[in-house]
Amino acid sequence: MKIRFDLTALAATTLSLLAGTALAQDKTLTINSFGGAYETAHRKCVITPFEKETGATTRVVTAYSADAFAQVRAQKAAPQFDVIHFSGGQEIVAASEGLLAAIDAAKVPNLADLYPVAKAGLAKGEGPVYSIAAIGLVYNSQSLPKAPTSWKDLLDPKVSNKLVLTDISNGYGMLGFLMINRVAGGDLKNIQPGLDAVKKLLTGGAIVVTTSPEIQREFAQNGATIAPYASDYAYTLTKANLPVKFAQGVEGTPASFITANLVANRPNQALALKFIDMSLSESAQACFANELRYSPTNAKAKLAPDVAATVAYGAASMQNLFRFDAPTIEANRASWVERWSKTIAR
Amino acid sequence: MNDRAENLLLALPGLGLLVLAYFLPIGQMLSLSLSGREGPSLEHYTRFLSDPFYLGVLWRTVRLSLVITLICALLGFPFAYIMARVGPRLRMWLVVAVILPLMTSVVVRTFGWMVLLSRNGLVSQFVRDLGWAERNFQLMHTESAIVIGMVQVLLPFMTLSILGVITRIDPRLEEAARTMGGSFLSTLRSVVLPLSLPGIVAGSLLVFTLSASSFVTPSLMGGARIQVLAGSVYKSVTQTLEWPFAAAQAVILFVGVLLVLVPYVKMNTPKHG
Amino acid sequence: MVKAIPTPVRILATVLVVLTVLVLLAPLAVVVGVSFSHSEFIAFPPQGWSLRWYQEVLGSGTYLASAVTSLKIAVLVTLAATLAGGAAAVALHRGKLPFSGLMATFFLSPLVLPTIIFAIGMLMFWSKVFGQISVLTLWLSHTVVAMPYVIRTTLAVLAESDPFLEEAAGTMGAGRLQRLWFVVLPQCIPGLGAGAFFAFNISFDEAVLSLFLRKPDMTTLPVQIYGQLEFSPDPSVAAVSAIMIAFTVLMILVIDKILGLQRFARS
Repeated sequence: MKIRFDLTALAATTLSLLAGTALAQDKTLTINSFGGAYETAHRKCVITPFEKETGATTRVVTAYSADAFAQVRAQKAAPQFDVIHFSGGQEIVAASEGLLAAIDAAKVPNLADLYPVAKAGLAKGEGPVYSIAAIGLVYNSQSLPKAPTSWKDLLDPKVSNKLVLTDISNGYGMLGFLMINRVAGGDLKNIQPGLDAVKKLLTGGAIVVTTSPEIQREFAQNGATIAPYASDYAYTLTKANLPVKFAQGVEGTPASFITANLVANRPNQALALKFIDMSLSESAQACFANELRYSPTNAKAKLAPDVAATVAYGAASMQNLFRFDAPTIEANRASWVERWSKTIAR
Repeated sequence: MNDRAENLLLALPGLGLLVLAYFLPIGQMLSLSLSGREGPSLEHYTRFLSDPFYLGVLWRTVRLSLVITLICALLGFPFAYIMARVGPRLRMWLVVAVILPLMTSVVVRTFGWMVLLSRNGLVSQFVRDLGWAERNFQLMHTESAIVIGMVQVLLPFMTLSILGVITRIDPRLEEAARTMGGSFLSTLRSVVLPLSLPGIVAGSLLVFTLSASSFVTPSLMGGARIQVLAGSVYKSVTQTLEWPFAAAQAVILFVGVLLVLVPYVKMNTPKHG
Repeated sequence: MVKAIPTPVRILATVLVVLTVLVLLAPLAVVVGVSFSHSEFIAFPPQGWSLRWYQEVLGSGTYLASAVTSLKIAVLVTLAATLAGGAAAVALHRGKLPFSGLMATFFLSPLVLPTIIFAIGMLMFWSKVFGQISVLTLWLSHTVVAMPYVIRTTLAVLAESDPFLEEAAGTMGAGRLQRLWFVVLPQCIPGLGAGAFFAFNISFDEAVLSLFLRKPDMTTLPVQIYGQLEFSPDPSVAAVSAIMIAFTVLMILVIDKILGLQRFARS
């Protein structure tokens, strides 16, 4: 973080100290980001270009979707975020609770270039999707020279004691579980097959982690060979010099949608909309893909061939991605989490 | 101004702070725990108390807290005594050793343990080499890991509590007992231990309440499969977004520990004539 | 000593001390070791030696900024908790408050409540009543949590103190304020000192409240570390912690020079 000797910001801050925060809000935007490597990429791809173009200052709060959501919910009367990013479908509930403001498509020109799936929720007050994470099979290519091809490969007892499952408190973990549930014969109305399969895996020696760094640790130090997780994280692991590869399962590739949402009851919505618009721009989209291997949602984004190979790119790929019905997940989350906790409890 | 007024004035800032910044928010939480789907109800409490899973979580929390408290007392008492009786130089270094864990961030402390207790960690390897466990064993993500992590965090509280009291024991009392023919150990048992009891009790209560209400260390050390009550509260707040249920669980935890605390405080507040 | 301490007991005592110190310090040693690791993984013993993580941390404004924030708040909290808590302890000790027993329980109850609930309750309550959260919110919340420690340690010290000293001073003509300042306060000092020490630590180390009652320019160090561990776990976290540990040791040595740590360890 460089110290900004920007006179505009300095004057605005001084005035705000004297006259309350109202004046400063015209040129300050408060957003959340997800920390670490994500936040670094976020700054590079959107935040810094945004500040350069508008002269505004961005204040970034590191808060994961669940925390950020809890905060805006508690702050309904006086929210502190202008733009809020969610990766776990929280925008659906947030919109229904009136925490988000509907986005006027006329004010966000880049919306026109988005794939339809990325702007489907706008009518309900949700924000657009600016990044997509594909969920599949992350595996150690040295220990498993024959690449896994199917989600059913996860259920093979031979790999159980080298399998890493992720708790469904994590967005990617939830999607991975729902996919296991699907290949085990269940669906969104019935997750018992999935729970039974997980129970069997745990007896066979699989472990459950709650955060992504733990996955890295398992692969790096504890001999893990396979995990249902996201392509972007597989890339992080390769950058850490691990022989890890990502494969999509033939049964399908569930996707996690990362949305940028406009918070209601905030004064500087014009600035916020500009930020959202820039998140959707071709350059920002390509940047995210290059930095972190997220899949772009802007149809016009251009990626180098090697990058394009590792993400879902192009309209055809978009067809292969599917999204588990987010409202159903949200509606059932509480009871599923409880049943999951009981299943994995020792 | 009379005595009563002076006392009230002394207590006022603390009281004011507590009312504004503690009781009002808690009151909000309390009313939240009683808010059912159609008006006030006890449904969240019923849900907790009638489900064996949650009762198991409660029991595990209490059980682990008791074990942690016991270990801290068993380690803390001799350690505090030794600290009190050695020379000032050594004592200072022991104080540093006791206080350092307190002053390190909980996440950092835990990740130090994670490295030691994981499959390839030194401690797990040691246990395997001794033949006490099979090939794939790791201490991480077990109840033992929680106990180890919490003892490290809470031992300083116990030790310092006891230390404060032991240093007040007149060493001549011990000398007198020894002069009368008592061995070192029996003096410890019959003179030092009874006199240190207030410190041990105070320390035990502090350690117990802290164990029962902490969630960071147990969650990180125990992993997703071992739940304690405070961890369940956190889950209800951030994951399942069942805030009323979370509030009810918190109240249950709160009440349970208060039940332990109240008799002690009553015991300890002297009533002067 | 009349008779020497028997040798088997001495040996046992030494073993106990060594084992306990090991348990207390081993994870910290590991953290320091990891901070010198060359590789990007968190592994111990470290693979390769390098100072790169220290360079990265010291060059990063983010860590320094959050450390300063933590420090500022911790100092404010220590002052407030020691003053309010010490005064309350004196009042409680005298036992002449209305509902004395209940009062004592109230004052100590924040020790017992899971911070997460307090955090959410505070967030909701503050937003509803005062609007934007600020440093004030965090300061008050931390103080609420730290105050019981000061009260406890001060009460413990007062419990062993001589109640007649104050009476004697009163008989000799000392006014209320004088009695407080010249008799009661010195009696409290070891308790206040220990309490202040705890208060500082509680605040500096506090993560849950700070996670929820946060503003963009108000990130504390533990929260910063959490974020770092979550998404890019590399030994830089270990480097920050090693620095914190070194700072702590330094602080303890300084306090010892100035105040004499003996103060905390005996009357």
